[in-house]
Amino acid sequence: MDRQIKTLQDKNSYLDLRKQERVTLLEILDRALDKGVVISGDIVISVADVDLVYLGLKVLLSSVETMERLRGAPMAGAQEEPT
Amino acid sequence: MTMNRTIETDSREAFIEEIEKVQDVLPKRIDANPKNVEKGLAKLVLTLVELIRKLLEKQAMRRIEGGSLSEEEIEGIGETLMKLENKMKELKEIFGLKDEELNLNLGPLGDLM
Amino acid sequence: MKIYAYGIIDSNSGMDEPLSGLGEASVYNIPYRDIAVIVSELSDEAKGKTDTYILEHERIVERLMEGFTVLPMRFLTVFNTKKDLISMAELYYEDFKDNLARLHNKVEFGMKVIWPADTIKQRVFDVYHKTKHNVSISTESPAKTFVKEKFQEHIIEKEFQEEADRCIQVVDDYFNRIACEKKLKRLQTESLLLNASYLVDKDRQNEFKQAFEQLKNAPSDLKFLFSGPWPCYNFINLTKKPSAVDYFNTEDMLNRLLAQQGFAQERNSV
Repeated sequence: MDRQIKTLQDKNSYLDLRKQERVTLLEILDRALDKGVVISGDIVISVADVDLVYLGLKVLLSSVETMERLRGAPMAGAQEEPT
Repeated sequence: MTMNRTIETDSREAFIEEIEKVQDVLPKRIDANPKNVEKGLAKLVLTLVELIRKLLEKQAMRRIEGGSLSEEEIEGIGETLMKLENKMKELKEIFGLKDEELNLNLGPLGDLM
Repeated sequence: MKIYAYGIIDSNSGMDEPLSGLGEASVYNIPYRDIAVIVSELSDEAKGKTDTYILEHERIVERLMEGFTVLPMRFLTVFNTKKDLISMAELYYEDFKDNLARLHNKVEFGMKVIWPADTIKQRVFDVYHKTKHNVSISTESPAKTFVKEKFQEHIIEKEFQEEADRCIQVVDDYFNRIACEKKLKRLQTESLLLNASYLVDKDRQNEFKQAFEQLKNAPSDLKFLFSGPWPCYNFINLTKKPSAVDYFNTEDMLNRLLAQQGFAQERNSV
């Protein structure tokens, strides 16, 4: 996606994109955090770590930059100099 | 990163708001040590009392709905429920507890109340 | 090195192409009989960042779906040793086989619905005041006023809940014939009327999407969020569930409480 933030309209599209990504993340969280094959007990350490996980995820939710990093693709235009 | 997965909505903000409210609840569900119980016996006791109070209130309302109570009985129930509610408010204040804290997370069974 | 598990697949042959997972570790399979657990090794550095890896997790699972039937693991399922992982596979083998068969060629779709809770409550409130009720009281008193208020709350809440069920029924009807299974969560918040997951045959995906289009275009004061296809997170049925003890260890809890009150020694945990 080729995006350059030149105008207010572009900025709104950028914010829209952030919201879209946030929704995507929330949808993934809604599933993967709590559902799927849920195994618990001594052999699995997932339960113990969950609180820590959640704090981390809250940070993630407010950080688009982190999402970019995870995807490995910079949001084209977000870092470019406005012309 | 995707399959041909779509996420489509006409109201992103509204859904972000609501879903985040729900997800705030998630850690408690899978937390092996319910925090509100860790904080003391008083909380545990008050939580149970609150549960009973709410059940009594609910039951009373159902009976009133059913129309089987006399005005005297309604007066009696009203007095009792009022006293119970006020007593709970007092106790909550004394122990510095909020409504949200008087709950128990039962893991896969969800919250008690 | 701990082992991070992404999911269970219905094949025990190796991965065709290399795949890189959490912390850039190679994703590989640990076979057990005719199935396999797809994993990668979790280094100590990576472990520190696991909270941000949920997108990676999802990416891997969805990649696997292209070639196999996948039972996605809950995020952050980690095993201390391969032996532990195999024990788990042994314990759950029948469950996994059943689920793999049941979920073969199926996908999950999600739909969330927001309704105008305040407007609905207002409507219910208005109707309440136009209707005669059983609380006919001849004399006033604080107790009676209290009861009247509580009763009003009670009825409004009850009507609100019934209205929610009616509304959910209407929405669900669009998808009932097409989906194989469904999981409906009602009123997770006052406004979030429905959080639904539907299990749909891959071949009926388009039909399902069309049903959503119809629903979306029908006049209503509802807001919709439609997503999918997803891995079948909501349709895994394990007969060997974690016991309540795993979540709510009563003995442990009691010891802590008593310790707080100064009554008992804290036991050392293993």
